[in-house]
Amino acid sequence: MIKVSNLSKKFGDLAVLKDISFEVAKGEIVVIIGPSGTGKSTLLRCLNYLETPTTGQIHIGNATIDAVSHKAKEVTALRQQSSFVFQNYSLFANKTALQNVAESLITVWKIPTQEALETARAILLKVGLKDKFDIYPSQLSGGQQQRVGIARAMAAKGEVILFDEPTSSLDPEWVDEVLAVMKQLAIEKQTMIVVTHEMQFAKEVADRVIFMEDGFIVEQGSPQDVFNNPQHERTKAFVKRALKQH
Amino acid sequence: MQSSFDLQYIIELMPILFKYLGVTMEMALWGFLFALILALGLALVRVFKIAFIQHLASLYISFFRGTPLLVQLFLLYYGFPQFMPIFVGMDAFTAAVIGLSLHFSAYMAESIRAAILGIDKSQMEACLSIGMTRLQAMKRIILPQASRLATPSLMNYFIDMIKSTSLAFTLGVAEIMAKAQMEASSSFKFFESFLAVAVIYWVVVIFFTRIQHLLEKRLNKAY
Ligand SMILES: Nc1ncnc2c1ncn2[C@@H]1O[C@H](COP(=O)(O)OP(=O)(O)O)[C@@H](O)[C@H]1O
Ligand SMILES: [Mg+2]
Repeated sequence: MIKVSNLSKKFGDLAVLKDISFEVAKGEIVVIIGPSGTGKSTLLRCLNYLETPTTGQIHIGNATIDAVSHKAKEVTALRQQSSFVFQNYSLFANKTALQNVAESLITVWKIPTQEALETARAILLKVGLKDKFDIYPSQLSGGQQQRVGIARAMAAKGEVILFDEPTSSLDPEWVDEVLAVMKQLAIEKQTMIVVTHEMQFAKEVADRVIFMEDGFIVEQGSPQDVFNNPQHERTKAFVKRALKQH
Repeated sequence: MQSSFDLQYIIELMPILFKYLGVTMEMALWGFLFALILALGLALVRVFKIAFIQHLASLYISFFRGTPLLVQLFLLYYGFPQFMPIFVGMDAFTAAVIGLSLHFSAYMAESIRAAILGIDKSQMEACLSIGMTRLQAMKRIILPQASRLATPSLMNYFIDMIKSTSLAFTLGVAEIMAKAQMEASSSFKFFESFLAVAVIYWVVVIFFTRIQHLLEKRLNKAY
């Protein structure tokens, strides 16, 4: 359902992604781990075309794009196949929680406003925000904002939700409620690609773990394989350090 | 020859001048409306860096900021009709409104552009991430937020425009300044006539400054 082929990205002379290829099946939960500065965010952002890759192909759902020859229409089509949960939430500041969630339905999918709001209410209920419909983001806690962020991504009707360190900006007290929402999505077989430092979450929820370093996929496999029986020295070192912290 | 200050004359002149305030305000309101539309277009062209047109926009802004309003008005009203037939027969009021719009749109474009650039780029990314186009993002998310930032300076330009309409008397528009000038030259009471018109401008500006403050207060607690 998702197929990434030979993806590379340079910022000027700095090669950040180097010939990345992988596939993700429908309903699969993929967790990407790795040291910071190795291109994890850049990879997710390329999938959503928030960054333009230098070369390579991306195929998601029924959209395909080639970095070298992409057209504006293809970019929009590709973006509609995925949605993004940002580390710093990035909720629409001028919209209430409900309007944030309904926005894609109204603007992108042209669903009548009343119906869109109804759907948005149902999604906010699912993430446990039934009494926050009409609250603006600035009045919500970090955990609540990120749950709205996830709800907004759920509403967007994409094939896959991309999470870029969704809990890294949160005060520790709010982390669990956000992870709980993500676990619920995993149970419902929502396809997800999650960049995170929450190793426990990766172990419990991931179908597959990808270890990235220096713009390469070094190793991938089941959480069992990657955490308990890593093949590469770099993976071993990283996993050892990461698990010790928890 | 020195004459004594004639307060009575001012009191009688006020209502006469006041009748012409309508024309002044009409010029300012139309001028501001068109300036706003033009400025928004110019700002978007520059923000989206639309090939070629963005350079025209920069040139436009540079010209209208770089030359005096009075020169622009003369060029438009007395100059253009000489070689562009569509301008022949344009009345002075229309010329003044066009001139004011063009002039102020150049300034307003820059403050709208600054306001748009003042919105965190994560807002645009969030729009794109759920499949919106850049134009949809502008309309629904970025411009509503930017308008809050731009309102104080746009209100300043509106107030500036009210005062600048006084230049329209040089084109022969029968607005408040022209009337004061006429009254002054027939009564020879220059000081009283121009003081009266100054007071009227002043009161109008105070009124709109008050509105500006109320508007800003409301905007500040919107979200
Ligand atoms: N817009 C950008 N311009 C230049 N360099 C960038 C940009 N974004 C990221 N980088 C660089 O790319 C590398 C990978 O960054 P990133 O994808 O954020 O890594 P990670 O998410 O794994 O921490 C870093 O060296 C970072 O400095
Ligand atoms: Mg990152």
